[in-house]
Amino acid sequence: MSRFLEVESLNVYYGGIHALQDVSLYIDEGEIVSVIGANGAGKSTLLRTIAGDKEIKSGNITFRGERLPKTSYETVSMGISLVPEGRRIFPNLTVYENLIVSTYTRAHSKKSIDEDLDEVLALFPRLKERLKQSGGTLSGGEQQMLAVGRALMAHPKLLCMDEPSLGLAPIIIDELFEKIKQLNEERDQTILIVEQNAFLALEIASRAYILKTGSVTREGLGAELLGDPSIQHEYLGVHDDTSYEDED
Amino acid sequence: MNLFVQQVVTGLSIGGIYALLAVGYALIYSIFKFTNFAFGAILMCAAYGAYFVTHTLKMTSLVSGLLGAVVIGVIVSLATELLAYRSLRRLKASRLFLMISAMGVNIFVQNLMTIMMSANLRSLDIKMPFNVIRFGKIRIGSLDIFSLVISLIVLGVLWIFIEKTKHGIAIRASAHDTDTAGLMGINVNKISFIVFAISGLTAAISGTFMGMKYAVYPTLGAISSKAFISSVIGGLGSLPGAVLGGFILGVLETMISGYISSSFRDLFSFSVMIAVLVFLPNGILGSGINDKL
Repeated sequence: MSRFLEVESLNVYYGGIHALQDVSLYIDEGEIVSVIGANGAGKSTLLRTIAGDKEIKSGNITFRGERLPKTSYETVSMGISLVPEGRRIFPNLTVYENLIVSTYTRAHSKKSIDEDLDEVLALFPRLKERLKQSGGTLSGGEQQMLAVGRALMAHPKLLCMDEPSLGLAPIIIDELFEKIKQLNEERDQTILIVEQNAFLALEIASRAYILKTGSVTREGLGAELLGDPSIQHEYLGVHDDTSYEDED
Repeated sequence: MNLFVQQVVTGLSIGGIYALLAVGYALIYSIFKFTNFAFGAILMCAAYGAYFVTHTLKMTSLVSGLLGAVVIGVIVSLATELLAYRSLRRLKASRLFLMISAMGVNIFVQNLMTIMMSANLRSLDIKMPFNVIRFGKIRIGSLDIFSLVISLIVLGVLWIFIEKTKHGIAIRASAHDTDTAGLMGINVNKISFIVFAISGLTAAISGTFMGMKYAVYPTLGAISSKAFISSVIGGLGSLPGAVLGGFILGVLETMISGYISSSFRDLFSFSVMIAVLVFLPNGILGSGINDKL
């Protein structure tokens, strides 16, 4: 039986750099899977490749048994939506238009789109107050909520999030991750998160992968990786005394 | 005073034509960020379309002339997109190459039409329902009235399309960022098809009126430089700016022609453009775009 999403020995080049080297991973339906790693490890490239925005050199990505199409807009109609790094909301569109924009190719009826809109606004009530405001006037946290809402409006089977915590205040990050958890638990939304903030990403994930200079170096349950001393040392900023001195 | 009002009315009617042209031009610029120099060729082909319908087919009403122009304008505009630009975009070529390709299309089409149709001036004989309307001492020609009214209607319909429909939302999203628009499920090639069709339509309508005002000839498209000037005045890439710039340019030009001399008209227009570029680089309504190709 094929996996929900399966990435098999994926190789991707990005501007002459071998950004992803034989990366394999999978996601089962209903999971939250995190990919953590340092800046430049290839996390964003991985997500962009799944979203159909990067050319695959070799390897395979299958989604519910089917190969992914080559363009990003076709990938969206297959059921994979991305919350891009840095949010990338459309500042020249109103909040409402930002949400509705990702229903452009949706074949669903107006009614089911309206239902999704109600659901998104129930999840992020602050967007409801700002529907007529232009997207550019929102605060960073609100923009991130909008970016998530916009991706959800495409009714994705798999929601991909690229660095959702980037540039947000800690209190907003907590709120956002609470919403992500809620999405997964209440709507059974399958989610793939790529994060530099390893603690948050491991805490929320059922399973996680660690990406280092383009290769998967570890994989395991979120809780298991969270408790692993070497990972604590490298990604969570937890140091015992000796290693602390070593680093200096 | 009468002369002044007369000039304003004539200026507005020219301005309407410029505004239409500028919108068609600015729409493509706003999404693909390059100057479509083939725009003049599209306008000229469309004017020949109007000539063909009114002269060869002898359907001399304004509606049939405009229809002939629109059909040809849209076809030529879509053809340039498919043949000259799409493959370059697929290669992620710099927009500089798109612009050069556009210049090539312009020269090619202009010369092709010169060979096929000769360089003769052809007048467009379109029957108007009346000739002039008089308000006291002010006389307004029917062509001025029709070009202004039709331009305003088309601009209004376009405005509704872009502001209120889902295609319009997708167009505006693509205008901000085509990559992100793609990630949100928008097929940018489909958007480009819509945008080039609209652009062909606006070129066709303004081309027909230009042909009626002057004549139809292979270099009629040179008038599209006015679209560029209007767009610069209003702010490159801004659609309301293009409309505003078009009307401002139209009125200013007619004033110059009326009070000084019509031979100063184009000299003046380009001087205005240079002045705007120097003192108000973003135009009246433009948002900061750094380099203008």
